[in-house]
Amino acid sequence: MSFYKYKDYIEEGDLVLAFISRQTIKPLTVKKGEQLNTRYGHFQHDRMIGMKYGEQMGGARGYGFIYLLHPTPELWSISLPHRTQIVYTPDSSYIMQRLNVTSGTRVIEAGTGSGSFTHAFARTVGPEGRVFSYEFHEPRYLEAKKEFVEHELQNTLITHRDVCNDGFEINNIPEEFSQDGLINGDVIFLDLPAPWTAIEHLDKVISKKNRVGICCFSPCIEQVDKTIKALQDNGWINIQMTEIAGRRWEARKDMVKDLKDVVKRLKDIQSRKSQGIENRRSIKVAGEKRDFEEVDNDSEEDQLKGKGFNPFGKGTRIKEGDEIYDWRNVTKIETEIKTHTSYLTFAYFIPSDN
Amino acid sequence: MSSEDVKSVATSEYNSQVIAYGQYVLVRLPSEGLKLVYLKETGIVNLGKFGSFQVSGVIGYKLGQSFEIIEDQQVKPISHISEITEDNGPEVENEDDGETPLSKDMLTSYFTNSSDNNQNIINIGSKIQQLTNEDIDELKKSGASSGIGQQIIEKMISGHEGFDKKTIFSQQKYLRRKQQKFLRRFSVEYVSASQLLEYFIQKDLPRVLDISEETLGLIMSYGNIRPGGNYLLIDETGGVILYAMLERMKGQGSVLVLHDNEHANLSALKYSNYSEETQSKMIKTINWLQFLEPENERIDWEHVSETELADMKPSKKAQYERRTKRAGEINSVIELAQQGNFDAFISVSTLSLPTLLPEVLPKIGGSRPIVLYSQFKELLLDTQHFLSVDKRVLAPSILETRARIYQTILGRIHPMMTSRGYGGYILWGTRVIPQESGITAVGRGVSKRRKENTESSPEVATDSTQ
Repeated sequence: MSFYKYKDYIEEGDLVLAFISRQTIKPLTVKKGEQLNTRYGHFQHDRMIGMKYGEQMGGARGYGFIYLLHPTPELWSISLPHRTQIVYTPDSSYIMQRLNVTSGTRVIEAGTGSGSFTHAFARTVGPEGRVFSYEFHEPRYLEAKKEFVEHELQNTLITHRDVCNDGFEINNIPEEFSQDGLINGDVIFLDLPAPWTAIEHLDKVISKKNRVGICCFSPCIEQVDKTIKALQDNGWINIQMTEIAGRRWEARKDMVKDLKDVVKRLKDIQSRKSQGIENRRSIKVAGEKRDFEEVDNDSEEDQLKGKGFNPFGKGTRIKEGDEIYDWRNVTKIETEIKTHTSYLTFAYFIPSDN
Repeated sequence: MSSEDVKSVATSEYNSQVIAYGQYVLVRLPSEGLKLVYLKETGIVNLGKFGSFQVSGVIGYKLGQSFEIIEDQQVKPISHISEITEDNGPEVENEDDGETPLSKDMLTSYFTNSSDNNQNIINIGSKIQQLTNEDIDELKKSGASSGIGQQIIEKMISGHEGFDKKTIFSQQKYLRRKQQKFLRRFSVEYVSASQLLEYFIQKDLPRVLDISEETLGLIMSYGNIRPGGNYLLIDETGGVILYAMLERMKGQGSVLVLHDNEHANLSALKYSNYSEETQSKMIKTINWLQFLEPENERIDWEHVSETELADMKPSKKAQYERRTKRAGEINSVIELAQQGNFDAFISVSTLSLPTLLPEVLPKIGGSRPIVLYSQFKELLLDTQHFLSVDKRVLAPSILETRARIYQTILGRIHPMMTSRGYGGYILWGTRVIPQESGITAVGRGVSKRRKENTESSPEVATDSTQ
C-alpha cells in the first residue's frame, strides 16, 4: 500500500525511488542479493533493508551516494518509465483540484498512457474511491496492468478497450468496483487523440446522483474545437478551456558589482602600469632589486581575487557564492520550460432525475 | 430522487450531491458575483438586484443546478445560467408571458441585421441608447421575474440606434452583457475548497495571501494529501488550506495546526459540513510556545481524590472537570507534536521560513514532503539558499503555476484579455536524513580526493556537484 500510506523502514519487496540527481530518480524493488549500479557508485539492496526512508546511502566502494525515497505519485511521475507523453503535476494537480477529486471520488480515465496520472488519481481518491482506467494499446495496457498490481493500486481497474468505438461499459464489473452494477463515474479525464468521439458514450457510465465533471486533455486547438462541439451536443454545460503554465525557478547568486570598484580598479591598473615603467627605469638606472614589501602590498583577500585590485575576480575561476565576493540572491527560470502541455477543456453534466 | 433519498444523502456530512437544508452553498450569479448562503428551512435568499427566492424551491435538486426566478420568490430549474432555450415555438414575442426565455429564434431575429465589420460604428456614448435609466427603473418595478429582464433587454436592443451596425459577434456580446445584468438567474453549488477559495479571492484576496486555485492544487498534490495522513500545517488564511485538506481526507487522518496567536483562526471551517465531532477528531491545534517549549507549557494537573471530589460543590466540581479535560487536551497535543513523524509539512504563512524550519524539520518523517507557500518568490529564494546549506531537505524547488483561462466560444476561442494578477509560489522538497560522515560525493575533483584518500567531511558528504 505504498502509494496510500507512508512507512518508515525499508523492507524486502518495497518499491524505493533511488534519488541519484535532480534529473535521475531510479525506481527499484528491493531484493536481497541485487545491486543498483550507477555512474555514482554501487548500492547493495541488502544494505537498504532496515534503513529509513529518506536516508542517505553511501556507495559500496566508499564513494557516491543516493537517497532512498518513499514513492509518491509526484516523485513517480519524475522517475517512471515513459511509454507515452505524460501528464505532469502542474496539470494533474489543477485538474484534481478543479474537479474536486477527493477521497471517495469515482474517476474514469482514458487512456492510461504511462499511468502517471492514474497513480495520482488512485492516491487522491484513496481506498474509498475507484479509478476506472482504459487503454487501447495492448502492450501499454499489459505493462500498466502489471505495474498497478506491483504498486498495489487496489482501487484501480484497468481495461483494455478502445473507448471511442466501444464505449466505457464493463461487463461483470468486479464487485468491489461496482456500484449497483454500474461504474457511476463522478469525474472523467479524457487524454485521447479524438475525445469528441468518446463523449457520446459517457452517459451510460456517469453518476446519476450528482454533478459530473470532465476534463479533456488535447494539445491542438482543432481538437478543442471538436471537443467543445461534442460536449455541447451531449448536454454538457459550463464549458471552459484553460491552459496551465508550470515553471520552476532556480535559486542562484549574482555578484554585486559596485561602479566605484570599477573605477578603483581602473586607477589601480593605471598606477601599476606607471609604477612598472618607473620600476623598469629605476632598475636600468640603479640595477638594484626591489623590496618584497614594495612588490605586493595587497591584502590577503585581494590576493585571492587575482593580481592587483580585482574586486570581481576577473580572469579567475569563481565559484558562485564564494564568500570573498559580494552576492545577492536571485532567481533564474529553468533552462528549458514547458511552453505548452495541452489544452484542458472542462465541463459539467447535471443528470436529470428521470 | 425521492425525498427519503434526499434526506439520507443530505444528512451525510460529506454531501456534495443534493441541495439540502442545513448546509452552506455557493450561489453564483450571472454577473459572476458569488454569495455563500446557509440554507434554512422556510428561509428566503436575497440576491439584491437579482431578486430573492425561497430556499424550499431549490431543495432536492443536484448541487450545481441553475435556476431562474419566476415570480413570488419562486424558481424553476434551467439548464445553465446563460441558457438560450431552443424549442420555444413561434409565439416567442408574447410579451405578456413573463416566463419566456430568450430563444434561438429570437436571437437570430435580432442578429439578422448585422454588419460585417465595425466600419460604421461611431462612439457617441450613452446617447445611442433611446431607453433612459428612468424607463428601465420603471420596467424593473413592474415585476420581479426574469421575464421582465428579458423585456428590458428587448427594449434596449430596439432602442439602440447602432445595434444593426454592430457585427454579429459584438451583438452577441452585447446581449450576453445585458443578460448578465437583467436576467434573474443563479446556480447553487457545493462549497468545495476551490469554490470557497474562489469566493475569498473575489471578496478578500489578501485574506488568502494571493493564493490561486492552481497553486492550492499544487500544494495538495506535492504535499501528498490523502485520506489517513497525519500532517503538520501552518495556515494563515483562516482555515482555507485546512478546509482543502479536510476535503481530500474525508474524515480519515489528522492535521496538527501550528498557530501564532493564542487560538488558531480557522473561521473558514464554518462553511463546511463537517460535524463538531469529526472536526475535533481530525483537527488539533498548538501554538508556537507550546511547540517550542513543551516542558514549560505542559500542565501538571493535580488530580484530587475521589473523596475530595465527592465533597466539592457542584459548580466547583464542574469547573474542576472542565479544567482536567482542558489540561488533558493540551498535554496530548504537546505529546503529539513531540512525537513528530508527520507525513508532510505544509506552510501557508508570512513567517520567516529560515527561522521556523530548523524547529519544524526534526518533526517531519523521513522522505515526507515539505511544501512552503509564499506570495513572494523572494522569500522562498532566501529559504532555498538556507536549505541548500541545511541539507535536510532534498532537491528544493521553487515552483509557479498559472492558469490561463480562455473565452470558450466555438469559432472565437482566445485567451481572456485580462485577468487579476495573483497566485503565489511554492517551495517543494523532500525531508531527508543525510549521513553524518563516511560519504564521498562523486563529482568534480573526486578522483583527486580519492587519490589523496582524505577523510570526507559532512560538507563534502552532500556536495551538490553529484
